[in-house]
Amino acid sequence: MSTLQADTKITSSPASTIKSKALLSRVLLWIFLLLVAGFALFPIILAFFGSLKSNLELTTGTTLLPKEWKFENFTQAWTSANFARFTWNSMFISTFTTIGTLLIGTMAAYAVARVDFYGKRVYVVIQSCTLFISIGAVVLRPQFDLMVALNLQKSLWGVIIILISAHATAFFMLIGFVRAIPKELDEAAFIDGCNFYSVYFRVILPLLTPALGVTALWTFRGAWNEYILPLVFTMTQPALQTLTVGLAGLKYGVGDAAQPQLMLAGACLSMLPMIIVYIFANKSFMQMTAGSVKG
Amino acid sequence: MNGTKRQINAWTFVAPSLILTLIFGVYPVFWALKYMFYDYQGFGTPLFIGLDNFERLFRDKDFWHSVVNTFIYAGGKLIITIPLSFILAVVLNRALKGRQLLRAIYFMPTVISASVMAIVFYVIFNSYNGMVNQLLLGAGIISSPIDWLGAKYALLTAIIIAIWGAIGNYMLLFIAGLQNIPEDLYEAASIDGAGPLRKMWSITVPMLGPVLQMIIMLAITVSLKGYESIMVLTEGGPYGKTEVMYLYLYKLFFPVSSGGSSIQQFGYGSAVGFTTAVIVGLITLIYFYVSKKLNDIY
Repeated sequence: MSTLQADTKITSSPASTIKSKALLSRVLLWIFLLLVAGFALFPIILAFFGSLKSNLELTTGTTLLPKEWKFENFTQAWTSANFARFTWNSMFISTFTTIGTLLIGTMAAYAVARVDFYGKRVYVVIQSCTLFISIGAVVLRPQFDLMVALNLQKSLWGVIIILISAHATAFFMLIGFVRAIPKELDEAAFIDGCNFYSVYFRVILPLLTPALGVTALWTFRGAWNEYILPLVFTMTQPALQTLTVGLAGLKYGVGDAAQPQLMLAGACLSMLPMIIVYIFANKSFMQMTAGSVKG
Repeated sequence: MNGTKRQINAWTFVAPSLILTLIFGVYPVFWALKYMFYDYQGFGTPLFIGLDNFERLFRDKDFWHSVVNTFIYAGGKLIITIPLSFILAVVLNRALKGRQLLRAIYFMPTVISASVMAIVFYVIFNSYNGMVNQLLLGAGIISSPIDWLGAKYALLTAIIIAIWGAIGNYMLLFIAGLQNIPEDLYEAASIDGAGPLRKMWSITVPMLGPVLQMIIMLAITVSLKGYESIMVLTEGGPYGKTEVMYLYLYKLFFPVSSGGSSIQQFGYGSAVGFTTAVIVGLITLIYFYVSKKLNDIY
């Protein structure tokens, strides 16, 4: 209908209709963009304001903003629900998983991208199989038994090692980035006296920096979000639980009736460090957009 | 820089990755391939029973019900997520005021843990006293509370959570793909008088082809495998309405507090794991075949 009107108008005054048509499409575009933004933000906003309400207001109130701001919900979650401990555990696991994954992933990606070594095809096939074949929770059982054999079932390192072992996604992301680095740079470095290893440290890694930011973001987020694996490993050890496991545990309550305001406060505490990390990681993502991908 | 030395160099760099993958990625699969032929509950001597586990599986209505739920869950998620994130990527790849902020907002859900968000949704979508119902009631949009986590709407709520968490992620991947398309192609097309839709159809989609194919394949496998948020939100309830196949599988190994069997069944669980992997593999293959055919048509 609108296009029909526009078509008939074009004959009379082209310039002004094109202008108003452009304005209309701009307005529609922005309505669409803001609606999606609202969808993305509404649970976070509800969680934030809800975490500051009293139990009674949370369950009966009909306003978005709390009438009485109960900041003590947060201190209660932090101390009595042990969120300080959970936060540390999550940080620990995510940091070391990211470092390990980046190291192992870049090394493998560099070798695969630059050398036609014997068995390369088999290696790549194995990696892609782990990416696409998933037998789900089954693997947790033998993985747990392996960690018992290594005596790591009662430490966070067991979780970290298993998370690092699942680096296929990072590997395939990184191999694309390594391939984007011109081979001539390697060759020039070789002529200048570099060997296989120093090319990795002096040419590949520095040029990969923006890509490492993206891969780190991906990996850190994956480890932070992980719920099932730490749950299985720490079911009987509350001191080792991560934020995800500890928070979900609140759902079952500790004797008391459900305390939704504490659950939301805990959820906000879980989100906050991640959002801070996101702001920093977001910058390295912007660096990537700035240039390296075109390489 | 040639010969055996370089071979050895390369292998030293691949070795850590390969060893970890073999031990923690490949060995568990063979473990499952063995025990799916056994009656094994985690203690005592495993008993070889041939194909009995699979016979039981084919008669296991709960399992096949969970397969159907998985298809509804994954399909519902993808049908909204892929087009929406693609449109957002195209829009936010152009020069647009505030695009960095919008990107940051859309991507934000993906940095938040699915299980944490499931807890938030569990609280705010609660039917009796959840904030969503209160606000909708307060605003007069609905007249009686919607039972978001009840038998009728629970799967829909789970799909909404999945969409919410996925859009920003695929938008980011699409943007990365879009930035690989040379700008001059669009300039040339503009000179030839192509409009935005024409450019989209004749440059963006074909140039993005392989990336698009990869991203969609990733999206399919990820959404078929996802069960974390459902596990936290409903544990597959009420009455198995949100039971997806990987959650069903999880419960056979790690029985959860409510519902279902409370006995670990490693043998039967391995058979279920094998079957779910085959189902996901088949769907991936079908997608691969179809999308290849579509590529040939181009």
